[in-house]
Amino acid sequence: MPNPSTRPGSQSKKGSGPNAAKNGGSKSTGPRGTGAKKGAKKTAATTRFAERQARKEEEARLARQERNKRYAFVTIGLVIAVVAVLLIVKFAGGGSSTSSTADQPSPPGGTPIPAATLAKLSSVPLSTLRSAPTTGILTTPQSASGKALTTDGKPQLLYIGAEYCPHCAAERWAMYVALTKFGTFDPEPGRIHSATQDGNIPTLTYYRTKYSSPYLAFNPVEVYTNYLNSSGNNYVALETPTEAELNLWQSGNGGSFPYVNFAGKAILPSAQYSFADLQGLTFDQVAAQVGNNATTAGADIDASANQLIKTICTTMTHDQPADVCS
Amino acid sequence: MPDEFPRWPALVGTVCSALGLGVAGYLTFEHYTSSSSLACADNGTINCLKVTTSSYSEVLGVPVALLGLLFFAVMLVLQLPPVWRRPEPTVRYGRLAWAVVGLCTILYLLYRELFSIDAICLWCTGVHVLTFIVFCTTTYATLTYPPPEGAVA
Repeated sequence: MPNPSTRPGSQSKKGSGPNAAKNGGSKSTGPRGTGAKKGAKKTAATTRFAERQARKEEEARLARQERNKRYAFVTIGLVIAVVAVLLIVKFAGGGSSTSSTADQPSPPGGTPIPAATLAKLSSVPLSTLRSAPTTGILTTPQSASGKALTTDGKPQLLYIGAEYCPHCAAERWAMYVALTKFGTFDPEPGRIHSATQDGNIPTLTYYRTKYSSPYLAFNPVEVYTNYLNSSGNNYVALETPTEAELNLWQSGNGGSFPYVNFAGKAILPSAQYSFADLQGLTFDQVAAQVGNNATTAGADIDASANQLIKTICTTMTHDQPADVCS
Repeated sequence: MPDEFPRWPALVGTVCSALGLGVAGYLTFEHYTSSSSLACADNGTINCLKVTTSSYSEVLGVPVALLGLLFFAVMLVLQLPPVWRRPEPTVRYGRLAWAVVGLCTILYLLYRELFSIDAICLWCTGVHVLTFIVFCTTTYATLTYPPPEGAVA
């Protein structure tokens, strides 16, 4: 029986099936039918090829999609891992941050100050400090007759201030210059400023610093930060003085900032010079003027540091070290 | 046939970017008004003011909050459904790159909050979470789904 597919014009439909080539009807076809059969075979092969290609492409597309999906998940997972590591290091390995900010080992407050700047502040020659004009000095340390203030057998220099306080901002410069004649800070103070609404005076903070000296102990208490609480009616508390410190402070200057107690033998009831002399200057500008008595800020800081050194030598260290106190 | 490009990335991205824009706008406003009315808890670890008034709240004199505002403004445009339907690689990978920029920034700021400022700002954390969600959806959708074919709305 002749195969219907041998009829001219029918090859494109019926001859394209997968069994068309095996069909016995093809033997009875003429030259034209043979050409049609070949065409049908070619078309079938092309179609099969196209289908295979399409399948391959689809498989490749799905594989690519799966691979990219894995990449996406891995990327997101890595980000989560990085965040998790940061949190773990912070809260488990690197010291916790709790509501009580006292007695916590941590980096110093404020912005780190370049080592070169700190080196400059700590190496102002004593001769420069001693020759500083005292025209800007408003207050000097006063002798006191309280109980000796010590820490681990060393005379203690108690400083009570607040980061928002512009007077403290002024005094801290002189304190750093003076204290680094007797010891070292590690961690060093960070750079801050008094409250923006309270002079915005550039300064350093003793919050979370550690001072080491063979001659004296330094006990800084920064009671408030330089920013307001959420209700805007007070500065956010930072460190709390002990009962004994509070009593000394209250009896010393009525509880105003700054307050410095030299081992119970002298007190500084307020900043030695006016913070107005630093107003409008940047931190770097003030730092640059320290040791330069030709500038108002430099002279004020140098003269104040000199007063502090003299007081520390006479009331706390028995004129030691000799090269500083002589 | 490739899957039809889904709508959810655009939806999630647009909503998160709009929310981020709002929070960043609020933080920018607070930055320029001395943060005096910033509504945030203050219990030591959680302390928005400490963060938003820190020296890290500005980069080269530009408030970080303002940079966040800029980030979300651009991202909001990139996340709009008509833009998601655009097949151009520039748009697809530009959006992905912008999301990566946002992610790197929030990782840096998180590091600063934890290790330099020592305080966490809840508003900033909100921004960080939104940025992270936008990054996740953008990364997943860009890498997983082929570019939409054809017309641009």
